[in-house]
Amino acid sequence: MNLTLKIWRQDNAKSKGRFQTYKVTEISPETSFLEMLDILNEGLVDKVEHPVCFDNDCREGICGMCGLYINGRPHGCDDGVTTCQLHMRKFKDGDVITIEPWRARPFPIIRDLVVDRSAFDKIIQEGGYVSVTTGGVPDGNAIPIPKKQADQAMDSASCIGCGACVASCKNASAMLFVGAKVSQLALLPQGKPEAALRVQAMVAKMDALGFGNCTNTYACEAECPKEIKRSNIARMNREFLCAKTCSEE
Amino acid sequence: MKLVQFASITKKMALAAVGLFLLVFLPVHMGINLCILREDGGEWYRNACHFMGTNYIVKIFEMVLMATILLHIGVAIVLTIENWMARPVRYKVVSKSKTHFMSRYMIWTGGIIGCFLILHFINFYFVKLDIVEGKYTAEIEEVDSFFQQKAKKMQSGELGEKEQAVLVAQYQALSQLPEGKLDKSGKSLVNLSKEEVKKYCGEDFEAEPDFYTMCKEFFKNKYYSLIYLLCFVALAFHLMHAINSLAQTFGLNHSKYNKVIENFAIGFAIIVPLGFALIPIAILFLGF
Repeated sequence: MNLTLKIWRQDNAKSKGRFQTYKVTEISPETSFLEMLDILNEGLVDKVEHPVCFDNDCREGICGMCGLYINGRPHGCDDGVTTCQLHMRKFKDGDVITIEPWRARPFPIIRDLVVDRSAFDKIIQEGGYVSVTTGGVPDGNAIPIPKKQADQAMDSASCIGCGACVASCKNASAMLFVGAKVSQLALLPQGKPEAALRVQAMVAKMDALGFGNCTNTYACEAECPKEIKRSNIARMNREFLCAKTCSEE
Repeated sequence: MKLVQFASITKKMALAAVGLFLLVFLPVHMGINLCILREDGGEWYRNACHFMGTNYIVKIFEMVLMATILLHIGVAIVLTIENWMARPVRYKVVSKSKTHFMSRYMIWTGGIIGCFLILHFINFYFVKLDIVEGKYTAEIEEVDSFFQQKAKKMQSGELGEKEQAVLVAQYQALSQLPEGKLDKSGKSLVNLSKEEVKKYCGEDFEAEPDFYTMCKEFFKNKYYSLIYLLCFVALAFHLMHAINSLAQTFGLNHSKYNKVIENFAIGFAIIVPLGFALIPIAILFLGF
């Protein structure tokens, strides 16, 4: 496959960026998208040019590091996959592919296609955990949890924090991410004691970091590589309403 | 980076709550409007307008409604500006992500409805507030008792010469009432200009706006009707997402009733705007 790539290049957070066009030739359809960029970078290094910077780690679709906005969609044209799991067979020979970094005020660009997603970590630090005192390991069956509920909590917990929800949302809202992180604990008895405090603190942090407001377009749900459902946002809204109206916290 | 320091979910819930209030008001307004289509010369519609214009509970409701509209518009603008601020550099390629029908265009369909409201207020509400001149109606019974009071004053010699002449002129004008100034039941004077109110009812008579005649006049203009219909298409699109969005914002999302909410949204968003649209369609095309 021969392809034309239009890639966002930016030296650092403060410099002005621009799109640069590259040609890549003889790409196998079985190549993954990131491998295709590796091939491009090898060519650039050979020509003593700066390689294109992009985030990646496990390349198995589980770490949440990779994230590119490809032809108007986060993680590209395939549904339910991360960028590293996208393969070139999804494109046609001669295609022009535009690659952009995640665009959101709370995700500043570090270089080229790499963005700083530590805003997500800051939200988690506000309450996306269960406080436990150290001691003996509790018995696994001490707290009975219905299977369906455990499955739902697991579905919410499958969020890898890649930021595709923010990237796809027209408002750069992080409601699906925060909704999933609130839900995974709200669904389990272990998360109940801190539920009211958690949802209020995490939402306040999300707002303070400058994420947009959710307008329920559900682009986040459509683009999430882990197919996190919008019901997580509704659950967070319920939790928030209950916390504000019924809780002492 | 927030314009208003309330939590994003609080602002959204405020928007949804006032939206729900407006949603409930729409079928009420539609029901009153549909009275125009009764072939009774506007008796029902004028009675409904009279009730809405004079009942004290309705007057309080009217103030709440105005505040609700302003709050809905205000919160929507704040949320939209904050959302634009959240993405200062936009993507080069336009988003190809699947989204809920019309959800991307809520601020624009809302803007069209807002412009329509301005036009609607100028045409109707401002007439009620006596800022803009319209057409007026007066019940014969009220005109008569107003006239009798003045006649009594004339008999007891309380009126000056000029006032007496005006009263005589009013009597003559009423006895030679031209066609189209009496409603079908013969109980009310209708289609009166401000000058005609003075002529037939007396200088200081307080006539009510004749919304029935005004509606008919407005909708006979095909351009006005077309604008009206387009605005209600925008309302239909706005409602289609708004009802689903409202449920989601209040946390009402469950596989057991999601389909019910979706179908209700589609039904409401079609039936209510269609109810409003029937009036210009009937006047323009069916000759009501």
